[in-house]
Amino acid sequence: MNQVNQVAESLVLSAEQKKRARNVGFAYLGLAVITMLVFSRRPGDAGFRLTEGGALLTLPAQQIAWIFGLVFVGLGSAQLWRGFGKISNIVLALATAMFVMSFLSWATAGESFSLVGMLQDTVARSVPITLGALGGILCERSGVINIAIEGMLLAGAFTGAVGASLTNLWFGTVIAVLTGVLLAWILGVFSIKYRVDQVIVGFAINFFALGITSFLSFRVLVPNPDYNSLVPVMPISVPLLSKIPFIGQIFFVQTIFVYFSFAAVALLTWSMYRTRWGLRTRAAGEYPKAAGTLGVDVIKLRYRNLLIAGAVAGIGGAWWPIGTVGRFDQNITGGRGFIALAAVIFGRWHPVGAFSGALVFALAEAVRLKIGNFDTGIPSEFLLMAPYFVTLVVVAGFVGVSRAPKAAGQPYDEQ
Amino acid sequence: MIKRKGLRSAAVAIAAFSLIAGACGGGDDTATEETTAETTAETTAETTAALPGEGILACQVTDTGGVDDKGFNQISYKGMQDAEASLGVTIDLLESASDADYAPNLQNFADKGCNIIVTVGFLLGDATKAAAEANPDRNYAIVDFAFDPAIANARGLVFATDQPSFMAGYLAAAMTKTGVVSTFGGINIPPVSIFMDGYAKGVAYYNAQKGAKVKVLGWDTAKKDGTFAGNFNSLDDGKNIAKSQADEGADIIFPVAGPVGLGSAQFAKESGGKVKIIGVDVDMSISNPDAAEVYVASVLKNIDAAVLAAITDTVNGVKTSENYVGTLANGGVGVAFTAVPAGLQAEVEAIGKGIADGTIKI
Repeated sequence: MNQVNQVAESLVLSAEQKKRARNVGFAYLGLAVITMLVFSRRPGDAGFRLTEGGALLTLPAQQIAWIFGLVFVGLGSAQLWRGFGKISNIVLALATAMFVMSFLSWATAGESFSLVGMLQDTVARSVPITLGALGGILCERSGVINIAIEGMLLAGAFTGAVGASLTNLWFGTVIAVLTGVLLAWILGVFSIKYRVDQVIVGFAINFFALGITSFLSFRVLVPNPDYNSLVPVMPISVPLLSKIPFIGQIFFVQTIFVYFSFAAVALLTWSMYRTRWGLRTRAAGEYPKAAGTLGVDVIKLRYRNLLIAGAVAGIGGAWWPIGTVGRFDQNITGGRGFIALAAVIFGRWHPVGAFSGALVFALAEAVRLKIGNFDTGIPSEFLLMAPYFVTLVVVAGFVGVSRAPKAAGQPYDEQ
Repeated sequence: MIKRKGLRSAAVAIAAFSLIAGACGGGDDTATEETTAETTAETTAETTAALPGEGILACQVTDTGGVDDKGFNQISYKGMQDAEASLGVTIDLLESASDADYAPNLQNFADKGCNIIVTVGFLLGDATKAAAEANPDRNYAIVDFAFDPAIANARGLVFATDQPSFMAGYLAAAMTKTGVVSTFGGINIPPVSIFMDGYAKGVAYYNAQKGAKVKVLGWDTAKKDGTFAGNFNSLDDGKNIAKSQADEGADIIFPVAGPVGLGSAQFAKESGGKVKIIGVDVDMSISNPDAAEVYVASVLKNIDAAVLAAITDTVNGVKTSENYVGTLANGGVGVAFTAVPAGLQAEVEAIGKGIADGTIKI
């Protein structure tokens, strides 16, 4: 019986995979068209600075566009012909990198720009999205939809700023964590205990966090500037690793928040797939009845995961005041929590996937900030839209079939 | 089961309530009462003779930047506080958490009987127009917006900020060590881009005068476009844009983005003196003491004076649709020098005089 099911499932999946493979094939051909028709229009060499000092990688913009365009044609044809099987994701990542490279060569033809600085920013900016997404995964893997990431980030940013201003950075971070945990607990009480629609509770928490932090910011922080003034953490160079050319500067000259997010991704990946807790969590998210029958306390498990998620999102919120800008301002998170939600889906509820989703969005943002300084003729309004557009395309187009945990959103009834 | 259903609807009700409470966050009723109470107490304590504005209620609606942005909204609110102190009017404030709050906030104040309602920012233009037309017996004034066609009970408070920005551009070009300066905006709307445009033209003027080749990042005078954060609240955007521009060599940065620029100041602070900032709207070396050392100068937009003037007119019973235009000549705009060599300061001040008397055209 079980085997029959598996066979049936693999058949369904392969039909869906075929469709996806075809879409990706057409996408490669689309990239080829854009590259060859648009990016080949500007003569001149584009300089990519690889170190802060100025070691330069010079690429002739037009030739790059033609070469990469032809490669895309090849990739598209191969994909439509037979697909890349196990290495499809690697090919996809390479193609994306090549597309970005030819775009940048086109945009900066005749000039040079700091590639290493841009990628360093990308990693730094991915932190709150990554941590928010991990919070989302922890909840959804155990069967609770967490729309409230944005609210947890914002509230954590507020209390983190006040806590750190009044005492020290560690205490501020702890307060931010507790704030995230408190909001997660509220989400838990309503959605697990009282079985209110999880999406509605999540939205209520988001609006509540926005309202209360804006209000307190005006009533408390404005009259008392001392409550909102702190010196954020500085980047730390990791010994040895930071000496690796190019890569070291990007990944290992960062703040402790970045290292924490790397560690959190690794730890969650390991514990989700290699520990008893992970197995139970996934069971509670897929088929809680079965887990319950086998003696797992689903309610307790969901609560616990929710609280951990709140703590992780709280650290993500603390990134704003403590990890980067040193103060809180109204709505400082600016919707990054919703991007984290997209990263959860993009990453197919897998920590590493969500981390790559966060990097894709952060890269798109870093590119748009950089491009604004060059004469490309792209309207700034379009550039502003680009990161969201990229997220949309990636989530809707490339990811294709992404299956949420089956029981996500359903309250668990112990009977 | 029935019990459970009851609990469930209670929970929904509470969730819905918190949603509403959240949406009206800025406009908490108790807070408003407190402000009013405090004001009354203060005015009775301070004044013996009756001030002309007693009994007049002046109200302000901010944009989404919030009143603690150390710039734009904050200085507008200072105009309100000045009016409270010098005219004895009662003041009230509503902050907008999002674009959706503008109309309800304005309606709230119209219902409350405000004599004059000051809205802060270009983004409130449409909402203010609608409110002014719906409430012809109240006076409206809006910062950074001019009504066309004019509305009898509404006036715009606008500023020729390209004039002081031109001076700042010249100053930046004269002070840069790398030969690259930069600017960026919050959103590409006229009251923001006018700063950036003036700044870029000031740099060009310096280049023409001195035969220099200082480059401006972030604004293209011909295309009227450049680098924008896309919002007025994400300070981390401000920090990243500053880093991104500094990576391209810029050492003097002019952020025109409200609180987003505070993130740039943080970046400059961490750069250890390599990158300097030009403040916007107010003298930021005073309003942002945490990072006072990063500012070389600030472009002033004296919104407080304009707001005070508008309230004074209402107190005196003057109803006008004529716009107030702040210029270098009437002191509505200006430059505050923080860390500029004396000789250069005199040079830049001379340029300011030239703009004011029309000998230098922007």
